Amino acid sequence: MTSIKISGVEKRFGELLALSDINLAIEEGEFFTLLGPSGCGKTTLLRTIAGFYRQDRGDIWLGEELINDVPAYRRNTGMVFQNYAVFPHMTVYENVAYGLKVRKLPGKEIEKRVKSALKNVHLEGYEARTPDKLSGGQQQRVGLARAMAIEPRVLLFDEPLSNLDAKLRVEMRDEIRAVQKALGITAVYVTHDQEEALVISDRIAVVNFGKIQQVGPPWEIYKNPVNLFVATFVGKINALDVVLGEDLGSGLRRAQAGSLSFVVPSAGTENCTDAVLAFRPEEVVETTEAVKGSNRLSGTLVSTAFLGTVVSMELELGGSRIVIERHRPKKEDIPVAGDKVEFAVPPESCFIFDKRTGARLRTKEGR
Amino acid sequence: MNPRGKRADVWHLVTFIGFAIVIVFLIYPLFDVFQYSFKDKETGELSLANWKEFFGRAYYMRAFWHSMSIALATTFFSMVLGIPLAFFTTRYKIKGSNLLTTLSVLALLSPTFIGAYSWITMLGRNGFLRNLLSSIGITLPPIYGALGIILADSLQYYPFISLMLAGSLMTIDRSLEEASENLGARATKTFFSVTMPLVLPSLTGGALIVFMMSLSNFGTPMIIGGNYLVLPTLAYNMFTSEIGESPGMASTVSIILMLCAAVVIMLQAWASSRRKYASMLVNRPIVKKLKGAKAFFAHLVCYLVVGLSTLPLGVIVYYSFRNTSGPVFKSGFSLNSYKQIFFDVPKTVANSFIYSLTAVVLIVLIGTLLGFVIARKRNLAVKLLDPLLMIPYIVPGTVLGIGFIVAFNRKPIFLTGTAVIMILTYFIRRLPYSVRSAASILKQIDPALEEAGINLGSPPGRTFRTVTLPLMQSGIISGAIMSWVTSMNELSASVLLYVGRTMTMPIKVYLSVADGYFGTASAMSTILLVVTGIAMFVVNKYFNRGSETFIAS
Repeated sequence: MTSIKISGVEKRFGELLALSDINLAIEEGEFFTLLGPSGCGKTTLLRTIAGFYRQDRGDIWLGEELINDVPAYRRNTGMVFQNYAVFPHMTVYENVAYGLKVRKLPGKEIEKRVKSALKNVHLEGYEARTPDKLSGGQQQRVGLARAMAIEPRVLLFDEPLSNLDAKLRVEMRDEIRAVQKALGITAVYVTHDQEEALVISDRIAVVNFGKIQQVGPPWEIYKNPVNLFVATFVGKINALDVVLGEDLGSGLRRAQAGSLSFVVPSAGTENCTDAVLAFRPEEVVETTEAVKGSNRLSGTLVSTAFLGTVVSMELELGGSRIVIERHRPKKEDIPVAGDKVEFAVPPESCFIFDKRTGARLRTKEGR
Repeated sequence: MNPRGKRADVWHLVTFIGFAIVIVFLIYPLFDVFQYSFKDKETGELSLANWKEFFGRAYYMRAFWHSMSIALATTFFSMVLGIPLAFFTTRYKIKGSNLLTTLSVLALLSPTFIGAYSWITMLGRNGFLRNLLSSIGITLPPIYGALGIILADSLQYYPFISLMLAGSLMTIDRSLEEASENLGARATKTFFSVTMPLVLPSLTGGALIVFMMSLSNFGTPMIIGGNYLVLPTLAYNMFTSEIGESPGMASTVSIILMLCAAVVIMLQAWASSRRKYASMLVNRPIVKKLKGAKAFFAHLVCYLVVGLSTLPLGVIVYYSFRNTSGPVFKSGFSLNSYKQIFFDVPKTVANSFIYSLTAVVLIVLIGTLLGFVIARKRNLAVKLLDPLLMIPYIVPGTVLGIGFIVAFNRKPIFLTGTAVIMILTYFIRRLPYSVRSAASILKQIDPALEEAGINLGSPPGRTFRTVTLPLMQSGIISGAIMSWVTSMNELSASVLLYVGRTMTMPIKVYLSVADGYFGTASAMSTILLVVTGIAMFVVNKYFNRGSETFIAS
C-alpha cells in the first residue's frame, strides 16, 4: 500500500507537449482512474509512473521515495497491459512466477504466491497451460495475477479491458475492482471508457491535451463538471449556444437560444453574455411534474431508441437536435416520428459554460 | 537532466561493434577498391585513366552490355518459367505440388556453379544429351557463352519469381475476385484488372531479385561462359590474370558492378514498399480441381519447369557414382570419386565445414544483437548504422574478394592466405541477412512483452535473455541454417582469397571442372547438395517455416 504523489510533471515528445504540469496526489489503497480520449496523455502519465518514460520536469514519489531516477525494473509497480503481454513461450505458472524468480524468492514461497495469485483471478488448474490455449479474458487474468504476485507497491492498468468483448469487459471490470479492494492495493487505471471509469473508480482524473481537467469522485465528475469538455466527455449531454439576458432575481437569469427562451441559474455568469447551456437527457421532466419556473419546451420527434429501462428520443428543437430520456416507458407512451413531444428542464439542471473558455460558470463554492 | 539515459549500456557497445565491423571490413576495403580505380597504373597518381579506358574500349563496354543482357534475359525467362508455375500450383489442384516446391527451392539454393557444370556434361562439346540429339539429327547451338549462362541462371533463379508470386497469390482475399465477378467482370477481365494488379508488387520484387542475382553471379559465367565475359568474370580476370594484371581496372569494373546493384536494390526497396495489399485473410482463394486436357496441360507445365531445373542436379548425383579412372569416366558404377575426395582432399571438406560453422556462430551472435539494436533502439547512431549494414547487399562476392585482398595484404591488418579471411568473407556477406531477419522477427514481438519483464523487476539484459531471445529462437536458428548453407556454397569471393591450405569445396569443384576431373567435381557437388537438402528439410520440419524463409534469406 503506497500513495503516489506527482508534482509538476512535464513530458515532451519532440514538439508535442504530452504532459503539462501534472499534479496529483493518489492515496493509499485508492482506485484512481485516468480518463480521457486517445492521445490525451493518460497512457504517457501511466508509463511515466512505471518508469518506461522519464519526465522532462517534475517529481514522482511512491510513498516517501522519490523515484525520478529509479529504473523501471526497480520500481516494483505491477502493470497490466492493454494487449495482455503474457509471455507466449511460458506456461501460466511460469508467467506468474517470472517476477518472483527475478526476486530470487525461495521455491516454496514462489509456489505459494503463484497459487494464491491464480486463485484470486479464478485460474486455478490452468498452471500448465500455454497462453495460446487461453481466451483473451483468461490471458488478461494471467496478466493481472502476474502483476499481483510480485506484491507491488501500486498496480498500473493500461486500458486492460479494451481488447475484450462487451460482456467480458463488465465481468472483468468487477473482478479487478473486487481484487483491488480485497488486497487494499493502490491502483492507477487508464481508460477512455467513461462508463468503465464511473463504475470502477474511487476518484477520476479527466485528462485532455496533456492537462488534468478535473479530479474528483465519479459523482462529482458527472454531476458537477468544471468545464464543457468534462461535461461532454463524461456521460451524454445536450449543449445549446445561448445569449445570456436579463437577471430575473432569486438566482435566475434569462438565456436565449434563437427563438427558444430558457431560465437558468445566474450564479457566476455576471460578466458573460455568450454562453453554452447544457443539460443531461435524463434531467428532463414531464410537463405535468414540472415545478413552477421550469423551462417548458416542445420538440418534434425525429427518432426513438428503446434501451429497455429507458427510451431515448431525438428531438428537433428550434433548429437544434437534442436528446431526452424517459424512464420505464409504457408502450403507448412512446411517440412516433413527427409527433410533438413536450417536456420541461428544471433551471437547476442547467449547466452554463463560458462559450469562449469552456469553463463552467457557477459560484465559488460549486453549484 | 537525464542521468539514466546517458549511462552506457550493453546496447551502446553493440552499436559500437557494429560500426567497427562496417568500417574495418566494408568501408576500408571498399575504399581501397575505390582508390585503386582512380590511380594511374604506372605513376600511382590520381587519374581517370581506368575510367576512360573502361568507357573507351569496346572490350570493357562489351562486358557491361553482356551483363545487362544476361540479367535481363534471365529475368525474362525466370518469369516465363515462374509465373505459370506459381499460378497453376496456387489456383489449381496439382498432384505433388509440395514436392514441386521443395525441388524448386533445392534448385534455388544449390551452388550456382553446379547447374552450369551439369549443363556442360549434358550439352557441352561432348555432352551426352548433345550426342543423343545429334544421333537423331538435331544439332544444338553451342552451350558455352550467353546461351548457357541464361539457361543455367534461369533454371536456378526462377523460384524467386514462383515462390514470391505464389505467396501473394495465396493471400489475396477471395472476396475481391468474387466482388469483381459480382460486378459483372468475366474471369479473364477479373484476372487482369484485379488479380494481376494485386500481385504485381511481389512479381516486380521477385524479378528485381533475379536480375540482381544474375548480375552478380560469378560461378555460372565462369564455368559455362567461355570467352563471353560479364562484369564479375571480367573483374576476376583483370585481377588475377598473370599477363596484363590490372587491379585498378578490376576496381573500376567492381565499382560499376556495385553501382548497377545499388540501382537494382533501390528499385527493389521501392517495389517492396508498395507491397501494401496485406489482406485480413478472411477468405483464402479456392483451389480449383481441373479435369481432362486442362488438368493434363497444367500438370505438364508444372512438372516440365521443375523437372528441367532438377535435371542438372540429378545428373550431377548420377555422375558422382559413375566409375572413374583419374579424369576419365568408365562404364559401371563405383564410389571412386568419393574415395578420391576423402583420400586426396579431406582437408578441403573439413575446411568448408569449419569455416562455415565458425562464420555462422559469429553471424548469429552479432547479427542478432545488431538486429535488436536496429529494431528497438532507434537513436541517431543506429539510424546511421542501419543502412551501412546493408552495404553487402550491393557488393558482389567478386568485389568483396578484391577489396579484401588489397586491404588485408598490408599493414596494419595482414590476413591474406589465412582461414580468418575466409571466415570473415562468409561473415560479412551473410551479416546483413541475419541482421535484417532478426530485426524483422523482433518487429513482430510486442514491445509490451519486454516492458512486462522489466516491470516485473527484471533488468533489461535479463529481460532480453529470458523473454526476447526465446521468442526469437526459431527464427534465429532457421536463419542460421540458411547462412550456413550459403556459406558452404560460397565461391565468388573465396575463389579470390583462398590459398592451397584454405581451399573449400566450391573452389575445389570449380578447379576440378577446369581441370576436367568431372568425377571429383560431381562427388563434391553431391555432398554440397545433400547438405543443402538436409538444411532445407530441417528448417521446414522443425521450424515450421514455409518457403518464405528461403527467399527472404
